[in-house]
Amino acid sequence: MMNTRKKLKRKFNLRDEIDAWVLLLPMVVILYLFVWRPTVMGAAWSFFDMKAYTVKDFCGFDNYIRVMTHTQFLPMLLNTVKYVLWSLVIGFLPPLFIAIMINEVIHFKNGFKVIIYVPAVIPGIAAMLMWYFMYYPDQTGLLNMILSKIGVEPKQWLNDPSFTIVGIIIYSTWKGFAGTMLLYYASLQSVSVELYEAAIIDGAGPLRRLGYVTRPAMEGIILLQLVRQIISVFQIMEQPLAMTGGGPNGASTSLSYQLYQYGFNSGGKGTGQAMALGVIIFLILIVFTIFYFWLNRKIEDRC
Amino acid sequence: MKRIDAKQTGMLARTDLKTAYGKTIYGIFLLILSVTALIAVVPAIWTILTAFKETQEIYAAFSFFPKNITWDKAVIRLVESWNSLQLGKSFVNTLVLSVGNLGFHVIVCGFGGYVLSKLKPRGTKLLFTLVVWTMMMPSQIRMVPNYISWLHFPFASDIGYGFNLLDTFWPMWLGAGADTFAVLLFKNAFDSLSNSYVEAAKLDGCTNYGVFFKIMLPLAMPVIIFQSINILSAAWSDFFTPLLVLDELTVVPLSVYRLKEDTSIQMNTYFMALVFASIPPFIIFAIFQKRILGGVNIGGVKG
Repeated sequence: MMNTRKKLKRKFNLRDEIDAWVLLLPMVVILYLFVWRPTVMGAAWSFFDMKAYTVKDFCGFDNYIRVMTHTQFLPMLLNTVKYVLWSLVIGFLPPLFIAIMINEVIHFKNGFKVIIYVPAVIPGIAAMLMWYFMYYPDQTGLLNMILSKIGVEPKQWLNDPSFTIVGIIIYSTWKGFAGTMLLYYASLQSVSVELYEAAIIDGAGPLRRLGYVTRPAMEGIILLQLVRQIISVFQIMEQPLAMTGGGPNGASTSLSYQLYQYGFNSGGKGTGQAMALGVIIFLILIVFTIFYFWLNRKIEDRC
Repeated sequence: MKRIDAKQTGMLARTDLKTAYGKTIYGIFLLILSVTALIAVVPAIWTILTAFKETQEIYAAFSFFPKNITWDKAVIRLVESWNSLQLGKSFVNTLVLSVGNLGFHVIVCGFGGYVLSKLKPRGTKLLFTLVVWTMMMPSQIRMVPNYISWLHFPFASDIGYGFNLLDTFWPMWLGAGADTFAVLLFKNAFDSLSNSYVEAAKLDGCTNYGVFFKIMLPLAMPVIIFQSINILSAAWSDFFTPLLVLDELTVVPLSVYRLKEDTSIQMNTYFMALVFASIPPFIIFAIFQKRILGGVNIGGVKG
């Protein structure tokens, strides 16, 4: 039964098959050359001795050992985890709350949307350098300028090892939150009005409606966003690169930034280690990735 | 208060807005949104204002607003900064880069998404699974191998032949095609178009290519426009790949990043560079504001 149905559905037609693969060709070639092959090669070459960008001899786990025994490896791993944790503490809930508020508000709704979206429009590098100057340790920086107006001593901001990661995360939240907010906003639109009305008839106040109508409808996307944020912040690299250079004293060096240093700033000595570190990051993140897909499937099946 | 009557029932309903409790919540929402909007724009406004300050003013006055600014002075600052920053060439280059990115993106990802959605040749399932998994792979693992494949395109080994793509736009152009997320976006867009278009056109004797170019592509225009906006904005922000690849040939984000090290550039002029770099994305935003904030229903990754 299954078989006949399948045969009816997919009649084999050579012409169609060829046309389809011709149209697919650019995608397959590009993904092969720039995604699949480099991924496999990266894993393979991580076991090889590299001389700058030339592959030399097989060297087993040497690259891995060198990466893991680097005196700064554990601090860097810890920094990366700190980035993730701070980004969850500072940046996870605001986009959701702002989306809910914009959804409820009737005054200046569009105005709020446009203005809050401004940080997302500024090119990343320009925004990072803007914040680099806002955090400037003397009074030319905006934050210290404001502090001096209320009579507080200027702070070191990004030069302060205990603040530097928080500072970068505050910037990233500022830059990224409008995009996430729009995502939440879009799925708020699909929460049915009837449910709210039914809740009103049952005598539920605004907070209860939020808890019993909005929350269940949004849970799925919130959870997905949580995993997505963990995965993306774990790979943070451009921000330390442009804003702190990994400093002060490595206090803002993430694993990915270290990978960049190995790969492109080590005079060609660290390219093997760069790929080994890439594999390590990959292995850490694969757990979250599998969880993400499992979750995604589960949520879609429910719909 | 006609607008209150138009309030869609959500967490707050029309009736709530007439009670003191509901009004308080609504007021708090407006307040929080206003503060958020302020936080969103103040850094940008500060950057613009600082760009128009005079050099001595930045290092002496430490005020938010420029003192005794006049229209003439502002124009002089603009012209002088533009001349000393010499960004003209970068702007032209970035334009070329963005147009190329756009072309590769639409051709590679659009074709791919279409085939995965409608033509479905043998092997589609496997390919689709690969594409979905690729989407979540951390790019770190292939950073160095990719660089090697740009050095020795396309074989990624120095066996004597291959092209050196460094200091050309090809790495970015080809990279714009390797966007699996966009493939899925296009696939979803084509999924939402009825199969009967394809069947009807084929009965009328249209070839597979004819169906794609004459019927499906025009129907998918909204997504293509949405993607084009994203690609154009991304091209004006992409700084990491150009940092690795470009040298003589430079683009705006890279120039802005390099100017940070240039001690002959004063702070106000540097801020003007940040402003200049942000102008093109803001023009795009101004034109397509509705579409960007409306978003596209991206959906999931179900097969």
